Parts: sequence; structure tokens; C-alpha cells
Amino acid sequence: PALSEGWSAEKDFKAVGTLSGATQRNLEPVGPHFLAHARRKRHQRTFSEDERI
Amino acid sequence: MSDETNGAPGRFAIGISFGNTSSSIARINPEGKPEVIANEEGDRQIPSVLSYIDGEEYHGTQAKAQLVRNSKNTVAYFRDYLGKDFKSIDATPCHNSAHPQPHESTVAFSIVDSTNEAPSTVTVSEIATRHLRRLKQSASDYLGKEVNAAVITVPTDFSDAQREALIASANAAGLEVLQLIHEPVAAALAYDARPEATVTDKLVVVADLGGTRSDAAVLACRGGMYSILATAHDYELGGSSLDKIIIDHFAKEFIKKHKTDPREDARGLAKLKLEGEASRKTLSLGTNASLSIESLADGIDFGSTVNRTRFELLSGKVFAQFTGLIEQVIQKAGLDVLDIDEVIFSGGASHTPKIAQLARNIFSEKTNILAPSTFASAINPSELAPRGAAIQASLIQEFDKEDIEQSIHPMVTATPHLKNAIGVEITSGEAIEFKPLLNAETALPARRLAQYSAPKDGGDVLIRVCEGVREIKVTKPEPKPKEEKPEDDSDFDSDEDEEEETREIVWKTEKPIAELAVKGVKAGSKVELMVHVNTDLGLQITAREVGGQNAVRGAI
Repeated sequence: PALSEGWSAEKDFKAVGTLSGATQRNLEPVGPHFLAHARRKRHQRTFSEDERI
Repeated sequence: MSDETNGAPGRFAIGISFGNTSSSIARINPEGKPEVIANEEGDRQIPSVLSYIDGEEYHGTQAKAQLVRNSKNTVAYFRDYLGKDFKSIDATPCHNSAHPQPHESTVAFSIVDSTNEAPSTVTVSEIATRHLRRLKQSASDYLGKEVNAAVITVPTDFSDAQREALIASANAAGLEVLQLIHEPVAAALAYDARPEATVTDKLVVVADLGGTRSDAAVLACRGGMYSILATAHDYELGGSSLDKIIIDHFAKEFIKKHKTDPREDARGLAKLKLEGEASRKTLSLGTNASLSIESLADGIDFGSTVNRTRFELLSGKVFAQFTGLIEQVIQKAGLDVLDIDEVIFSGGASHTPKIAQLARNIFSEKTNILAPSTFASAINPSELAPRGAAIQASLIQEFDKEDIEQSIHPMVTATPHLKNAIGVEITSGEAIEFKPLLNAETALPARRLAQYSAPKDGGDVLIRVCEGVREIKVTKPEPKPKEEKPEDDSDFDSDEDEEEETREIVWKTEKPIAELAVKGVKAGSKVELMVHVNTDLGLQITAREVGGQNAVRGAI
């Protein structure tokens, strides 16, 4: 983090760009973390929703 | 966990690694750790060999011994023939055993497998079924419970036809195949599932050095999930290439003494192969190995020794092929050796100490080389794939068949991955530095949390979230070695070689994404930043002072 001078934005947040795309790849359907990911995807849950269950 | 009381009705699963040369079976023991099961002969690496004498079936080591006296009725190296037609197979490994033959759309062997004299044609699928049935029996006997399901490891280049043929063979052997998983991923899982391992983002090279073939794969491990970035295969390289060196060495010695080449006699060659392999394995553990064969050729007994130094000297070329395969796969993934965090050595030939030592020289000091000779708590390379399979089997054995199928469906596995890393730009004095938070090739959605220390005297803090790319910076040695510039000593300093040029990873900011201000940070405290990336590349960013109440939030 760096000090700033004369910087201002609404609610202290300023969007200046977007991500430059993604590559489509296959995940390996192996391991506990993948299974958790698959569960979220099949039930269309988000991380926090998943944690609550 | 393989809980014996609940689970899908009556399903009891193990992990199987099915190789051309040898196979292994593994389960999760009651303490929750993966454990490779020995068969009734005490072997954990069970040779994938079947042999028939007077209608009786021999399996594993017993069958392998029959390669000398009963080679025509012994079937070996058949895994890669499954689900293939005769034209596309390479029959060289079977030179000294029953030869594969074309049979309808598949491959078959002509062997005498019953008490009557006439040979029968047995398809490779049937051979695989018999082999898997014996593996299943060994596991059932050991566990005292009927094993009826399995997770089986396959190479990454196994075609759909091969997968289907393997599943059909396993079903015929009374095994429900819960899932086929890739060998390198199984190996990575075997390491990551250890209780002392922590989930980190890393790039892993898995070098699977087998008996007759070797495979290498680059995996991106992000948040405990794996994506294969590249694979490379060599179908003629493996432990048998090293055996050949030993065989040739001893054969030459024999010729010098007795003027006949034992390799010209089929039985002599078979004996040399069997004993040569044993000597090579001994050299992985000790520095000396002896070999003694009764009646090697012309009825002459032969005994000799070889030491490791000599073996390593003779094997230089083959070792270079192994390391070449590793370098090739990294190049294929568009990466540099500096990018690799971990090299996992898997497969039987990985026991060879020199191969891991040579790999040690290729990679930087930060890279962990996970092999017995370079890493004290390394897992036995032969056991990685079956252990990984056993872990996966225990995770999914309680699922319904439908659940498993849905979970491994391409709809679920096809996921966008980040192209560039996302991180934070840190300014200290003149130097601007980029610290990655989410690495490239992270599967989405993903979120990461990090803490950064605020400037010493506190105040208002600006966080610039940016996209970054890594570059390899090559510093040529200067005639008079000077001290490194301050911007050079980042966390990514590679080994500081004396005379060679130094190569290191430097991060360049590609483009800014968002700016956040955290105001009134106390002196010496930390700022916490959370970045969440959606599958549609949207971001949610939250920043706050650690322990503070007010958070700055924003979405893109």
C-alpha cells in the first residue's frame, strides 16, 4: 500500500480497468477442493452460501 | 473416509493403479491415511503379468518368473493395448512374452491357458479382466471384505476408447469403476493430502517415470484444485531403458570371458533381464549390486558386481532423456523452470537417485524436488498413484453414481481460468513493485485474502489492484561484480550464481484494475485486502485495516 495525496473517489473506491479475458480450461475432477467446487456449481451457490450450509 | 458402517449400500472401494509393468492396490486405513496393500506374496508393486501352466493361472511376481521358462504362455505389458486396434500398438515390450495378435477390432494373445494342449485366443480385455480380478481378490483377502468398487489411475493421453475398454474390463472383474483419474493428478493429490501439507497456489511438474514409458505433466494447483497445463510422453523411455544398460554391461563382461553373447539366446536374455532389473533396483538403494545367474548361456554360470558410479556413468545419455522430458513439458506449457514450485517424481524409475539430483541442478533452489534422494519425507514414488486413487475413492465412494457422473461432467470441469495474475502494486520510495495475489491459471470463481503492512507512520493508504505479468529478467554478469541493485532483491531472487548469468522472475504491471483508499490507518498496522473474481470476470474488492470496522468495498 502506498500513501496518497490529493486522491479522492466516491466511497473511496475507483474502478480504472477490467480484467483482460480468461482462458477456458478443464479442471481435474479430483480432490476435496474440486468436489466442493462441483457442489457449488451444481447447486449454483456462492462461496459464502456454501459455507453457511 | 472409508467408514465401514455407512455409505452407499454395500459399496467398498479401493484405489488401483494399473500399469504396463506393475500395478498397485491401496486403501484408506482406519487412521484415515492412504496405505498400499501388499498381495499374498508380500508385493506392493505387483507385476502386471499373467502366466499359465497346466491350466493354472499365475499372477504378479510368480508369473514374471515364468518369462524365462514359459514365455509363450505369459502375458505382460498389455495395459496400453486396451481399446486399441492392432495397427496402432507397439509390440516391442512383448518381444519376450506372448506376442499380441490382431483379433477382430482389438488385440489378442494366443496362449495355452487350460489343461488341453490347444492354445486359445484371449483378448486383451479378457487379460485385463483376469488381472484386475486377481488384484481385487488380493485386496479383498487382505481387508477381509469383498471389494466391489475402485478408482483407477490412467495416463493423461488415454483415449475414450481405452477408457471405455478399461471400465468394461473392470466391470467384468466385478469392480464398479467410480472414476478414472489421471496419474499425475493422483500423485499430486497423494502429496497434498498429507496432514502436514497446506493448500497453496503452485505450479507442479509431475514426472512419472515408469517401466516402459515415461510421462510428464505440468499442473497448476490453485486453491487445492488442479488443471493440467501441458503433458509430454515418451513411449520408449523408462526403467527398462536403464535395465538395458545393465544388461549390456554384464553381457559384454560375459562375452569377454566366455566368447558367447547371452543376449542371443532367448532364455539367456530373459534371465539377464530379470536379474538386471533387480540389480538396477538395488543400485537405487545401495552403491553396489551383485548379479548371479545360473547357466546363463552354454550352461555357464555367471556372477559379477557393478557399482553405482559405473552405472551412472554408463547411463548418462538415458538420464539426459529423463531430464529432457521434464524440460520439454515445461516448455510446452510456455513456462520457465523458475516458475515451477514443485517437482514430484513418481513411478518406479524415480527411485534412481541420480535422476532427482540432475533435476535439482535444473531448477532453482526454491523448487522442491520431491524424490527420495532429495527430500527427506518424500513418499515412495511407486506408491503415489495408488495412494491418490485411494484418497479419491474414499472421497466419492459414498456418492450416488449419478452424483459422481454429474460432478465429473464437462459442464463442471470446463471453467474459465485467469489469464494474468491479479495483485497489488506496492510503492516504497522510488521502486514500484507488483505482488501477485491471484496467480495466472487460477480457476474461477476464486477469492484470495492477503494482508499488507501499511507505511510505518500510518495515515491514508492507497491500494492499487492491478493485473500483472511475469517476465524472466536475465542479468548478464558484469566484468567487475557489483552489488545488486535494490530493486533486484525482491522475494523472487533466484540463486545467485557466481559466473553464470542470473535469471529471475520480475513482475510487470500490465494494467490497473481499481484503486481503493483506506483512510486513517494507525502506525504499524496492516491492511487486509480481499479479491473475489467471478466466472464472468467481475470483481469484488474489499479492503480494510486489520481490526478496523470500516471496510472499503467496490465491484467491477
